[in-house]
Amino acid sequence: MNQQRRVEWSRLDNASKYFAATYSERDEKVFRISCELFEGVEPEILQQALDETIERFPYYRSVLRRGIFWYYLENSDIHPLVEKESKPVCAPIYREHERKLLFRVLYYNKRISIEVFHALSDGSGALRFMMTLVYHYLLIKHGEEFSGKIPELNYNASISEKRDDSFNRYYQGRHFKKKVKRKNQISLFTKVYRIRGTRLEENRMKIIEGAMSAKAVLDEAHKYNTTMTVFLSALLFRSIYMDMPVRKKDYPLVLVVPINLRQFFKSETSSNFFSTMNISYRFGKDSTDLNEIIGSLNESFRRELTEERLNEQLYWQMSIEKNPFARIMPLPIKNISIRIADAVVEMGITASISNLGKINMPSEFESYIRQFSVIPNVKRPQLAVCTYGDRLVVTFASPFEETEVQKNFFKSLSEMGIRVEISSNM
Amino acid sequence: MIYCNYCKIYIRDKKAKCPLCGNVLPENGRIEKAEDIFPVIPLTYERHILIRILIFISIVAIVASYVVYKIVPTNVNWPGFVLFGLLSVWLSLIYALRKRYNITKSIMWQVIIVSGLVIFWDWKIGWMGWSLDYAVPFLCIAAMLVMYITAKVMKLSARDYISYFLLGGLFGIIPILFILFDLVKVNYPSYISVAASIIFLSAIIIFHGDSIKEELRKRMHI
Repeated sequence: MNQQRRVEWSRLDNASKYFAATYSERDEKVFRISCELFEGVEPEILQQALDETIERFPYYRSVLRRGIFWYYLENSDIHPLVEKESKPVCAPIYREHERKLLFRVLYYNKRISIEVFHALSDGSGALRFMMTLVYHYLLIKHGEEFSGKIPELNYNASISEKRDDSFNRYYQGRHFKKKVKRKNQISLFTKVYRIRGTRLEENRMKIIEGAMSAKAVLDEAHKYNTTMTVFLSALLFRSIYMDMPVRKKDYPLVLVVPINLRQFFKSETSSNFFSTMNISYRFGKDSTDLNEIIGSLNESFRRELTEERLNEQLYWQMSIEKNPFARIMPLPIKNISIRIADAVVEMGITASISNLGKINMPSEFESYIRQFSVIPNVKRPQLAVCTYGDRLVVTFASPFEETEVQKNFFKSLSEMGIRVEISSNM
Repeated sequence: MIYCNYCKIYIRDKKAKCPLCGNVLPENGRIEKAEDIFPVIPLTYERHILIRILIFISIVAIVASYVVYKIVPTNVNWPGFVLFGLLSVWLSLIYALRKRYNITKSIMWQVIIVSGLVIFWDWKIGWMGWSLDYAVPFLCIAAMLVMYITAKVMKLSARDYISYFLLGGLFGIIPILFILFDLVKVNYPSYISVAASIIFLSAIIIFHGDSIKEELRKRMHI
């Protein structure tokens, strides 16, 4: 019996705890980030790039394990391998008792994709991993073309910064006093409109990806004096409304919008660090005027995105996990409670939109990278947006067969004179 | 790129119908040039087919045995044995499959389930005491041996098996209760089991004490 080297392990952060408890066959909590190049991907070079990248993100070598009271992440020495895409989009990653990595790297024709189990990282965290991977790929592949001047990736963080539990860092503790009384626009008992549809076989999801000029969309948004996210949210609200049955027309719509907390609190973590806000809107008597919707949304975004509100939300998220009663609950009971709470919350949600923002890669890479895209994990129709250069990619993921909302959404963009290029997995 | 006249959008990949509106796209010869962005993944139907066949056979066996019993009655209620026998096999099999990724854990579960089942069977066919006399103690000894051998053969690291070794060792001490409460007619299997467990436990505590502490801290953190 020889002595073993001590194995590093870490607690899950606040959001990871939620994802580890609520993943299911219907919503595997797996999302994807893709990067499309102008040329075919070479698997051997991608593998070399992955080997380089994993050295810089040792945290991605973690496996998820069950303890008596909480899950935890344990370092492993599993060597990640690139795979040719051969499973449905965002296929399951984590399975109880299986000791496997929580992400996979795929390639297919011109695309490099990573799929990540949400308990490992959120979109912004995984994007950092993805950018590093693509960076190394292009550097190995086209290194000599940069004539000695090696482009630099604008992301420098220490290994410990990358695995920082920023939720815990910015949790203000029990003495935190709410300054403003939170006013709920929509009570828990109001019936919120939810999109229904025919589920796809094998719980697959339908991906519809629309690429367009970022500048053109931004110009449209500026016409209404608003931002890209608000503008796209408003379009989404209207697209859903157009598809609503008449008898439900006066139900409110609620969009969940994840907020990347790295923008507000200093953090370089490649783990989870986000919060969410609920934006609701109730349509008046058949008025689908975009101005009205945007006006209301602008107001909601302004109200939610204040330091006070974000601190409050963070405090609220953390206080559940810090509750002594919750802490000593055995894991299976904890999981059931979280699942029930999640199902209740889910009742009040119509759809979701998340914007990963503008992705910056070294300018030398412009002629190699066509676009980045993000596929969110879905329980309900969900939208994810990201921009690279002038290419804005809006990805609609839905567990349903029907595509009415998607059609309304992209059609309204094309009717504004924006050229929309669609691709789909079905 | 193909253009959908209805949705006013361009379609990048190879599609005969518009992914948005479902209308047939105008065939203008450009489909060959369309890109291949997402692979087509066929549906997998054959999942768990073996399990399904086994479940079907089990049901047929139970139904058939009851029918035969009704037509040709005997003194012994043997279809009951068929039913409980199959239930026992399934219970054991389900746990073996569910815990298949963690071999030591799987062994631990098997010991607990099979012990429960043998006691149940012994009681069902008129308590002769063989379950406590022989079956349970020998199961405990066998489990410890098998756990040790698999851990060595599969080169598992200490953190993977240590907590189950600990549980296995503790479980093996239980037969001491059989002796104390005078539940057994034959003593020696219980003695062997208890002795082996104590030796086993002391070995892992002495040689792997740190691992145990570390593992417990990890698993029990609140």
